[in-house]
Order: sequence, then C-alpha cells, then structure tokens
Amino acid sequence: MIRIEHLKKEYPNVTPLKDVTVEINDGDVISIIGPSGTGKSTLLRCINQLEKPTSGKIFVDGLEITDPKCDINKVRRKMGMVFQSFNLFGHKTIIENIMLAPMDLLGKSKQEAYDTGMKLLRTVGLAEKALNYPDELSGGQKQRIAIARTLAMDPDVILLDEPTSALDPTMVGEVQAVIRDLAKTGKTMMIVTHEMNFAKAISNRVFYMENGGIYEDGSPEQIFDNPKRENTRRFVRRLKVLELNIESRDYDFIGMQGQIEVWCAKNQISPNYSNRIQLVFEETTNLLIPLLKTPKVQAVCEYSSETELAVWTFSYAGEKVDITKTEDEISLSVIKGLAGSIDYEWAENEELQNCLKLNIRSEGIVS
Amino acid sequence: MKKKGAKLILLIMIFTLSLSFLAGVVSRAEGTDTSSANAGSAGRRVSDYNGKRVGVLAGTMNDTFVIKALPDAKLSYYNNISDMIAALEADKVDSIAGDEPVFSMAASENDRLEILDESLQDYDLGAIFPKTQKGEKLLSEFNEFIAKLKASGELDEIFMKWKTGPEEKKTLPDYSNFPAPNGIITMATEGSYPPLDYFRGTEIVGVEVDLAARFCEAYGYGLMIDAMNFDGVLASAQTGKADFGLACITISEERKESVNFSIPYYKSSAKLMILKNNAGAGSNVSPGSDNSFLRSIGESFEKTFVREERWKLFLEGVLTTLVITLLAMLFGTILGFLIFMLCRNKNPVANIITRIFMWLIQGMPAVVLLMVLYFIVFGSVSISGVAVSVIGFTLIFGAAVFGLLKMGVGTIDRGQYEAAYALGYSNTRTFFRIILPQALYHVLPAYKGEVVSLIKATAIVGYIAVQDLTKMGDIVRSRTYEAFFPLIAVTIIYFALEVLIGRIISRLSININPKRRKPSKILKGVNTNDQN
Repeated sequence: MIRIEHLKKEYPNVTPLKDVTVEINDGDVISIIGPSGTGKSTLLRCINQLEKPTSGKIFVDGLEITDPKCDINKVRRKMGMVFQSFNLFGHKTIIENIMLAPMDLLGKSKQEAYDTGMKLLRTVGLAEKALNYPDELSGGQKQRIAIARTLAMDPDVILLDEPTSALDPTMVGEVQAVIRDLAKTGKTMMIVTHEMNFAKAISNRVFYMENGGIYEDGSPEQIFDNPKRENTRRFVRRLKVLELNIESRDYDFIGMQGQIEVWCAKNQISPNYSNRIQLVFEETTNLLIPLLKTPKVQAVCEYSSETELAVWTFSYAGEKVDITKTEDEISLSVIKGLAGSIDYEWAENEELQNCLKLNIRSEGIVS
Repeated sequence: MKKKGAKLILLIMIFTLSLSFLAGVVSRAEGTDTSSANAGSAGRRVSDYNGKRVGVLAGTMNDTFVIKALPDAKLSYYNNISDMIAALEADKVDSIAGDEPVFSMAASENDRLEILDESLQDYDLGAIFPKTQKGEKLLSEFNEFIAKLKASGELDEIFMKWKTGPEEKKTLPDYSNFPAPNGIITMATEGSYPPLDYFRGTEIVGVEVDLAARFCEAYGYGLMIDAMNFDGVLASAQTGKADFGLACITISEERKESVNFSIPYYKSSAKLMILKNNAGAGSNVSPGSDNSFLRSIGESFEKTFVREERWKLFLEGVLTTLVITLLAMLFGTILGFLIFMLCRNKNPVANIITRIFMWLIQGMPAVVLLMVLYFIVFGSVSISGVAVSVIGFTLIFGAAVFGLLKMGVGTIDRGQYEAAYALGYSNTRTFFRIILPQALYHVLPAYKGEVVSLIKATAIVGYIAVQDLTKMGDIVRSRTYEAFFPLIAVTIIYFALEVLIGRIISRLSININPKRRKPSKILKGVNTNDQN
C-alpha cells in the first residue's frame, strides 16, 4: 500500500505537483490521465524517488521512503518502472538486460536468472530475440522487453510512464496486450497514459490530474461515463473550450468574433461550421444583451473533436430572461435554424442564474 | 579489408617519407649550387658577413660576440651544432658562429665546411658550480686541480689528444669504478660538442669528461654524468640538480651572478664557419655514377647506425621513449579516472580544484611544465629526468583522459541512469555496470589519438636531461654532421612505435565492444536447453 501526503514538487520556474494526497491500495490498477504538463509523470517519478519531492511524505507499506535515512535502492527493487523511452541497456543482449539486475541485486545464480528471463521472454513473445541487442529491435519489442526486465525483479508495484507514447501506432497494440495481461495478475500498477479506451479497459481506478493535483479520483465508469466534475467531463469527451465574458453593453463584439474565428481554425473546425458557431453567437448576443439591465454574461463554446459538434452555453446574472419569449421572431428563427433547439434553465442558487444552451447543428438552413 | 587498408596506409607513409628524404637531398644540392655560385674567393673575412644571416647556438654567448663584431648581422638561433650545420648546408644561413675546438672538429669530419681564420672574440672556458657550501668546496678543489694540470703541462696534452689523435687513442679513466670515498658527484654536460663532450657509442667522452674523471680520481669522488640541452646545463648547476657543469661554458660576468666559475681550463675563441667554395661540391658528388644516391644512403646508414655501434643509442632512446610513454599512459589513465570519479557527483570542492588543475596543465606548454617540474618543483630533490618526465606526462595525459571520460560519459543518455536506478542499482554500481562500459566504447578511438600524441609529445624530454629517441637522434647528428638521415630514421621509428601502440589499443577496443562478444560466451555456464 502506498500513501502519499501533501506531496509537492517545485522547480525554479514550474510547479508540476502542488499538493497531492492519496492512498493506493494493494492490487489497484490505476490509470492516470489528464492534459500534458499536469504532473502525471512527476507523480509517478516521485513515488520511486527518481524525482526528489520538494515537500510531503510518501509511505510504502508503512515505511517512509521520503525519509533521507531510507535505503531507496531497496525500495526500488520492489517497485518496477517502465519508461516512455524504454531505456534498455545498449551494451547488453536482451536476455542479459533481463538477467542483469536479478544477478547483481538479488544474488540470483546465472542459471536461475536465465530461466526466469526466458520464461518472461516467452510471456512477452520475444524468446527468439534473446541474443539480439536492443538496437536490433522495433520500439514495440523494446517496450515488451523493458516490461519483462521490470518483472524479472518480481516487484510488488509497477509504474508505467506513458509506455506507448513513443511508439508507432502499429506497435501500440502489442505493448497494450502485454500490459493488459499484467493487469490481470493482481500486481499493483500505476500507468500514465493518453489512451483512454485502454485505461478504461484495464484499470479499476482512474486519476484525472489537472493543475498539479488529482482533480477527480474514481472508478473508470465514473470518470469516463459520468464524470462528476466539469473539467473531467471536458477532458474525457475531448472537448475544446472557448470562454468569452461580456460585462457591459459596449463589449468588443468585433474582437470576440475574431477570437471565435481563430479558435475554430486552431481546432480544425470546418469553415462552414465555424461560420455557424459565429452566427449563433452574433444572433444570440444581439437578442440577449438589450434585454439585460446590467449585462454579465459568460459565453462558453465547447467543441467535441469526437462528434465534431459544438455547444454554446450562455450563463448570465440577473432576473429571469428567456430569449425564446422575445418578439424578435426573425432572429429567433435564425437561431432555431442553426441550433435546432434552445434550452433555457433557471437556477436560483447559481451566481449566474440564467442558463441558455444551444446545440449547433452541422446541417440545416443558414439564412 | 582492414589488412588492405593498413598496407595502403603503410605504402603512403613510405612514399611520403622517401619524398621528404629526396626533397632533403635536392635542397642540399641546391644549397651547394647557390653557395658555389655566389661564393667569392677563398680567404674571406669576418667583416664580409656583416648584414648577412648568421646562425648561433641558443643559450651560449656567441650571439653577443656576433653582435659586437657584426652589428648588422641577422641572427638565427639553433638548439645544437648539428642543426646549425644543417642550416648552413641548406643555405638557411650564410655563416654560423661557434667555439673554435668544436668547429675545427666538425670541419675535419665534413670537408664542405671551412672556418674563417679571424676570431670574433677570445674568451675563457670554465666549469660552473652551484653557489652552495658544497659547491664552493668542490670549486676550490677543482681550481687546485686545474692549476696543477696547467703547471705540469698535462692540460695541453689532454687537449692535444682529444683534438687531433686517432679515435682509438682517445681513452678515459674508467670512472664508473672509482672507489668514491667522498661520495658521488653529478656532472651536467651537453654531449653533442665534440671534442669537448660527445657520445662515442653509448658512452660520453671528450676533454671535459676526461678532466672530470681525472679530478674525481684525484679527489676521491665517484662520477655520474647527465647529458642535456645547453640551457639545462646552466639551470642544473644553478639549482644544484648537478654538482657541477662542464659544457664548453664561456666565463662571463653575467653568469657569475648565478653560478661560480672555476679558473679557466681553456682559452677558446668564437669563430665563423662557412661552406667551402666549389671544392666541397666536387668531392661530394661523384660525377656520372647512377647509384650515387643509393650509395650515399648506404653510407649514411653505416654512419648513423653501424659505426661506433650507434644503433645502441637508438635502442636506448626507443626504450626511454617507450618507458615514459607507457608509464605516463598507465598512470595518466589512472589519474584521469580518479579525478573523474571525484568530480562525478558534482562535489564543488573537487570540481574547483580540478578546473584549476586542468587550466594549469592544459594551458602550459608541455616543455615549460617539464622544466618547472624538474628545476623548481623537484629542484632540490634528487630525482631522475625520466621520473620527472613520467610525472609531467602523467599530469598531461591525466588531464586528457579526464576530458575524454567527461565527454564519453556525457554521451550516455539520462534514461540509462534512470533505468538502472529504478531497478535498484546504487549510484556507484550504476556507473560501473551500466554507464562506463558504454562510455568507454565511445572514448577509445579518441584515446588512441591521445596516446599517439603522447608518444610524439615526449620528444621534448631532452630539455631535462633525458635521452629519449629524439635526443639520441640529435646526439648522433652531432657526431655524423648529417642532418637528414638520422632525422628520418627517428621519424620512422616514431611511426613504428605509434603503429605498435595503436595496434594494442585497437585490440583493446575490439575486446571492449560488447557486440563483438561471441554468443557462446554471453551465456557461458548456463544450460540453455531447458524449455520450461
């Protein structure tokens, strides 16, 4: 069992981990997902002390490994790590790569190490490469060897740091298959990955990390199907988000239109659809702003690259204002033509009580 | 493929060498031509050479004599007599200035040379002694001894014997077996100044050695002789590295400030030597003979290697060069490695010390480093020049090895460290098991280059009384008055040494390349048949 208390890692210019407190149970298979630069790899590397934490404590089976007096080399023998860049020892053959550490560190005989090594090579399907050198192998093969090398130490915990990120797409499958088998053996595993379907399939627990902390921690079903928190939802649905704030009647309309256009281009949204997104914003604000006494509007556009559809959400403060009840029929029909439907909700307790949702259709009449 | 390449390279080497040899012969011939063309009548005068190019020996007083007599002369400085004569023959200078006894010997050996009758300056030769108590005592004994020899006329006899007598009559007392009740004293000399001090075979002989031996015999000393460059003789006597110096040293007021002089043992004079007119050319080239080139090579070979068993000198020189190179290589590698290990973990103190060490060693010309070590650092310690050379080149080579290791280890990917750490390897073990074996393989080709430059760099040890291959070449040249053949012989021997040592290291790099291992060796002692 691993317990992490208020872990913080700080570099002179960035702080990848701000404050992480979490407990990892034996047998957990944890996928760590999240945008890049949010400290996923740093968390993993702090757990086996490849990075020295700035502050905070880490306990492994009750032993505080962040204690300077702790013999970290001993702890690491029970904690395997698989790297994004494989890091096989270039001067040793495949079988030697696997035999080296058990012989050097666990005092195993050459024969013993060889037998275990060959057994592991057969499980990862590379027994015939035993006497090859790492640079004679493909990336996927190298990563499978790296996993076998880690397993040769018979670790209690295995940390996998983006094991398939450096691979050609055609080789991702073979490595994932090996990890999938590994996950079934009951070993505690932590895997940083960008492959969400893979994470969902193998893990019993998922950390969604953002901004140097664990933002949401839950079962794969919760995280991927019913995320409790907004940013998790946006991430797992692969939503691109644009947020615009209007705080007066004389807001910079032209500037905002420009912002929307740039954002659309950046997210490779087709010009046609981009046009629709802009039109909906234009028509809705035209309708809405004059109706508000003191405009305080937050307009959010979410675009899913999966479904290639965008949603505009306008939240605004003040009394109930429902634009569907307006007399400006022409504008309303334009919006309806583009958005199909307009959902209006009123929530008394929110800071911005009014909420207007418009799903933008990919087809339909543009007037 | 590899053998073929080696043969090709050898061929190119031989070709280049023979080309340079030919160039030497041709330029000699040209030199003869021009000198015969512009040579006037015999019986030239010293004043004819005012405004001309004059060669002098560095460290001697001849340059001041030349300037005094010929204020407009253009001086060129040379390190030994044979270089000077070679320069004269190659028309690099119009005349050379030097000591009368040495020049008359050279002229009697080489009939293309001629000495002008007129002297530049007359002066006295004296022995030098350090300004220490021991030196003063030795000095008064030596003065007494010389005075006695002068009075009995023995001194003149000795000079006559060495200047004119047949070589087999020029004998010395066997000073190596003196009983030495008063201890052994060391004499610094140059060894390339016949008839005063020179090598006959492997033995140093000459007037000055004869004097020293007789002196030691009479006063109950044992005698050791160190041969070195002329600059080194003065420095040795000044610092007390040698108990006295006898090397055709002119007594001068300026030198008296740093050393004590004995009473003069010889009245010498500075002379100008020039190339003879047509006479020399005629006797050198036998007309109409096709094999004259080959014959002249044969003659040169006989003179350089066979006569007086001079090959023994070369052999000794090669051994000295090899000993210095191999020991410096061994200790330097160890030193560089140790320093690297100290600095590896970014220890700030070790790093600062190392940076200063590297800055000092690499910033200093090797020759200066050696002199500083020999005359200053170990100035008051009785230590042989070979040992100082080994220390000096150990420092130089150690600095190079440190740099190489730093570079080689730097090429190893950070991931290799992390993978080893993650498996549970300690810092030190990671370095030796994972990093170093990969780094060495990268470093070896450059290491080989460093060794080759080390062999060549050792050629300067003559400055601190070590007779290595280069110095032995100089010694032989000072006897044969031939510039080119001994030089080329020395070059070829250096090439051979470099090839030899290069080969050894190449073998090493094959052994160190992990991919050249045999599969059967990798899994030695393992039963690989088990298919469970």
